[in-house]
Amino acid sequence: MVYRIGSAQGFYGDDVTRALPMILGEHVDVVCFEALAELTLAILQKDRLKDPSRGYTFDLNIIANKILPEAFKRKIPLITNGGGLNPLGAAEMVRQTAEKLGLHGVKIAAVTGDDVTFKLADLKVAGEPLTHLETGDPLDLDSGGFLVNANVYLGAAPIVEALQAGADIVITGRVADPALYLAPLIAHYGWAWDDWDRLASGIVCGHLLECTGQVVGGNSLAVIDEIDPADLPHLGYPIAHVEADGRFIITKTPGMPGIVNVNTVKEQLLYEVHDPANYITPDVVANFTTLTLEDVGENQVRVCGVTGKPRPEKLKLNIGRVEGYMRELIFTIGCPEAWRKVEQMKRMIEKTWEGLPIQRVEYHYLGINSLFGSVAELPPDPLEVIVRVMFTAPDEGTLKTAVRRMMTNGLSGPAGMSISGTTISGDARIILGLFPTLVGREHIMPQIDYMVV
Amino acid sequence: MKRLYDLAFGRAGDKGNIANLSVIARSPEAYQEIKAKLTADKVKAYLGDLVKGEVVRYEMDNIEALNFVLYDALDGGGTRSLRIDGLGKSLAGILLYMPWED
Repeated sequence: MVYRIGSAQGFYGDDVTRALPMILGEHVDVVCFEALAELTLAILQKDRLKDPSRGYTFDLNIIANKILPEAFKRKIPLITNGGGLNPLGAAEMVRQTAEKLGLHGVKIAAVTGDDVTFKLADLKVAGEPLTHLETGDPLDLDSGGFLVNANVYLGAAPIVEALQAGADIVITGRVADPALYLAPLIAHYGWAWDDWDRLASGIVCGHLLECTGQVVGGNSLAVIDEIDPADLPHLGYPIAHVEADGRFIITKTPGMPGIVNVNTVKEQLLYEVHDPANYITPDVVANFTTLTLEDVGENQVRVCGVTGKPRPEKLKLNIGRVEGYMRELIFTIGCPEAWRKVEQMKRMIEKTWEGLPIQRVEYHYLGINSLFGSVAELPPDPLEVIVRVMFTAPDEGTLKTAVRRMMTNGLSGPAGMSISGTTISGDARIILGLFPTLVGREHIMPQIDYMVV
Repeated sequence: MKRLYDLAFGRAGDKGNIANLSVIARSPEAYQEIKAKLTADKVKAYLGDLVKGEVVRYEMDNIEALNFVLYDALDGGGTRSLRIDGLGKSLAGILLYMPWED
């Protein structure tokens, strides 16, 4: 008997209802939902500042209302890191929803302990150097911007414990993405915590599943000739069939569109990977260079031979700080003399914003060089140039003033220049500085709280 | 014009201010050719201002693919970048469009 893991979320905003065909068809033994990109916790912090009961992903409301009832009926546990900054608040919302739906006996687990936002000073006192992983700079809490959040990437252990305690839904905050998928394998098969090859195999499995559509034909050059574009919004999200020895097959939800072959698996295997021989996670360091891939049936790829090395001594900690705000304006400029008028516009902006604390101003020409910068050649005399102006300031008020001042130039600017209404009514965006560092495991104590309906 | 895309496909990923580009060969012969010619220095030179830091190449003979890691390549990363593609999703594409000489 294989153990079957479904993956129904790869980012905050993904279509989590793609879990339903997996569950209704009983194609899976567990479903995982991965919701947290690097920026997501900062978005959730904004929600929590407005209302302390929030700070988790809105997708969890859909999971609680539509998916949990069907999964609970069939004893298929759900695992999600969509608790974000507030797993306990999320668990309380799920509890209330389950009660309203009459789901008697549902057991909800909330995993906390990843949030060290208010413990950073203590960690420094305890002797943690907290130096930047890329630059080596020490963390200075007095500069570098307003502290938004500091979360450690937890491993699989607390999720394993919650599953073994019979949880029907496990809600966490920051957890290493593939560890969400490794956890049910450890809980099911009882793999030892030093069984590095099996643990690494579970991590590769999780890594292949965690971006949902990306392994079944989405965001793919490999199958661009084969996939029907009309199928892209309905792809059957991926499922892994994992054996006790760690080998597994990647496939997709039966009866739904999509393509899984060796090439889609290769594309996802290297997605967001640095050294493929040393893929570092809290529970194991996985080596991708020993594995083999084989097409073993329609939309079925077997993955064998993953090897692993002992887990790292320290855990990754990511600290987010607000460095300022950015704003975008988009102007259209047509012929004749498009480039000359672009220069007029730039000079006009420079003079208009004189005296304001604007920090950076960047100009990109959409359709010409906005993606590839200096790799792109500029055409000599284009019919149209769409100029994207990006500018930053320490505060949102400055950006508003800058836009207002710019608008007063409406009848005084370059000939034939226009600006769209949606650009004018747009909002500022946070500039979030991330400070990745390491922290000793001994300082991090994951905690599990249970609620039963 | 022949391009790297004739020999390979791939995908870009991001972590902070670091991008990675996979270059996955379309055949065993293509892999040998790419492995021999597509050096980290060549990729770094081709991408110009897009990559401020170093480029490191990893080989995966087992799946006939190369992985290029581009440091300081996303204008601060997805949470800070002023680029329209702050996550660098399009960067694999421009590498694959590199003109290729036999």
